[in-house]
Amino acid sequence: MLLTPQGASRSLAAVFTPIKSRGLVDEVCGRIEQAVETGLLTSGQRLPNETELAAALGVSAVTAREALSQLRTSGIIRTARGRSGGSFIADDVLPSRERALDQLRELTRLQISDLGLHYQTIAAACASVAARRSDAADMATLRSFILTAEADPLHWRLALSEFLLEVAAIARSARLARELIRLQADLGTLTLLPCADSGYRLTTAGLLEDVAAAVEAHQPAAAEAAVKALVAATTDWLLNEQSKLY
Amino acid sequence: MIKATASPDTSTVQAAADLDAAITGIEHRLAAWAAETGTALAALSTKVTGTAVDKLIRPAVEELVRTPGGYIAGAGFLANAGLLRPERSYIAWWQGEELEHVDALANFSPNSISRYVKSEWFRVPVDTGQAHVTGPYVDFLCTDEYVLTFTHPVFCRADGPVSGIVGMDVTVQRLERGALPTLRRIGDRATLVNADGRAIVSAAPDIAAGDLAAAEEGCSVFPVGRKFRIWSGAEAL
Repeated sequence: MLLTPQGASRSLAAVFTPIKSRGLVDEVCGRIEQAVETGLLTSGQRLPNETELAAALGVSAVTAREALSQLRTSGIIRTARGRSGGSFIADDVLPSRERALDQLRELTRLQISDLGLHYQTIAAACASVAARRSDAADMATLRSFILTAEADPLHWRLALSEFLLEVAAIARSARLARELIRLQADLGTLTLLPCADSGYRLTTAGLLEDVAAAVEAHQPAAAEAAVKALVAATTDWLLNEQSKLY
Repeated sequence: MIKATASPDTSTVQAAADLDAAITGIEHRLAAWAAETGTALAALSTKVTGTAVDKLIRPAVEELVRTPGGYIAGAGFLANAGLLRPERSYIAWWQGEELEHVDALANFSPNSISRYVKSEWFRVPVDTGQAHVTGPYVDFLCTDEYVLTFTHPVFCRADGPVSGIVGMDVTVQRLERGALPTLRRIGDRATLVNADGRAIVSAAPDIAAGDLAAAEEGCSVFPVGRKFRIWSGAEAL
């Protein structure tokens, strides 16, 4: 098929879209928030000083100082003066249920279902390839991320995202893996909400087992279906919860 | 598809030897670097600090990743618990031409060691005291690329505990550029595989990197480095 100017205009439009830069300071703040989210940095822990932080992240001292100040304003860190002073991760800062609820309120139904659709597509592609390429060592790693439904919400949430990343790792596609990481970042703290529900944990525990079984048995179609059901469980839960908020 | 290559011809043998030399070169370089690092760490008169480790490791990484036409995409050192502080790790790892500092925030984490203990590329050399190669695998920690990670234990004293590991990342993409012409000289289905029989680079169009493959009956097998092999003919599973 010939590409007419009209036909090409949609893809060209993307080329000329302005590039939005989050800025270096936001980037540094994002990294720290992510580190707190994943439990790498914990409440009450001392943060490196400006100079150390700047050196570690490869930014200027000015950028590091601004980032620390921004984190202070948003309540993620607190600063103490004096001999045992410094910047510390604030108590009970992240991941917070309140923050997640705020995020859910801001989203439209359309945004949630569209994000869910994208997530399903990428996860399904990963699962299908993973089912062709899995070996015994892969399966042992994958199953290590299936927790019992009694696990606490934070662990459950972390294990759930690690499980899907492992499916991408078994598929051995760097591009799909990167896309999955981006999608998980877009979902942000939202997934904290369903994980606090024991009914959701019970349902997903079964679905995780289905995904693992299909990947292990080298059944691409079944793996794809199971992983789609897994993502749908999250999206449906969120859509349902959102309708209660109004 | 079965080829009678009981005694491969000279050009095939030479091609296999070329690829073996490239991988063995990386392994030898790593072993030498591990020895140098152990000696240098032992020679530090004061307590080992993060800054001292960075100062020691970074110039070596710079040379490795900036070698023109080289295979190394990133490299570095990871301290085992105890070298700097008990239960703490330290990562001095850089990647790319720009020497991007990898996972630097982890150095400020109180449970930094937990980030690495389960990784094959850290655990195996620490547990066995032997060199290891992990992958190919998607490396979420550093490159987010499909890579091979070569790691080697570092000892400050010959009879001492493992002080840490040095390692190098080789992306499958870079390796393919170098290895594919060589594999084609061996055969149109010649395949470089890891110890599990997983394809790293294959001349066969239907075998992708990451696929499990099998050696064709009667094909020649050539060792490449410590763990890999070339099958002169491979079939997709």
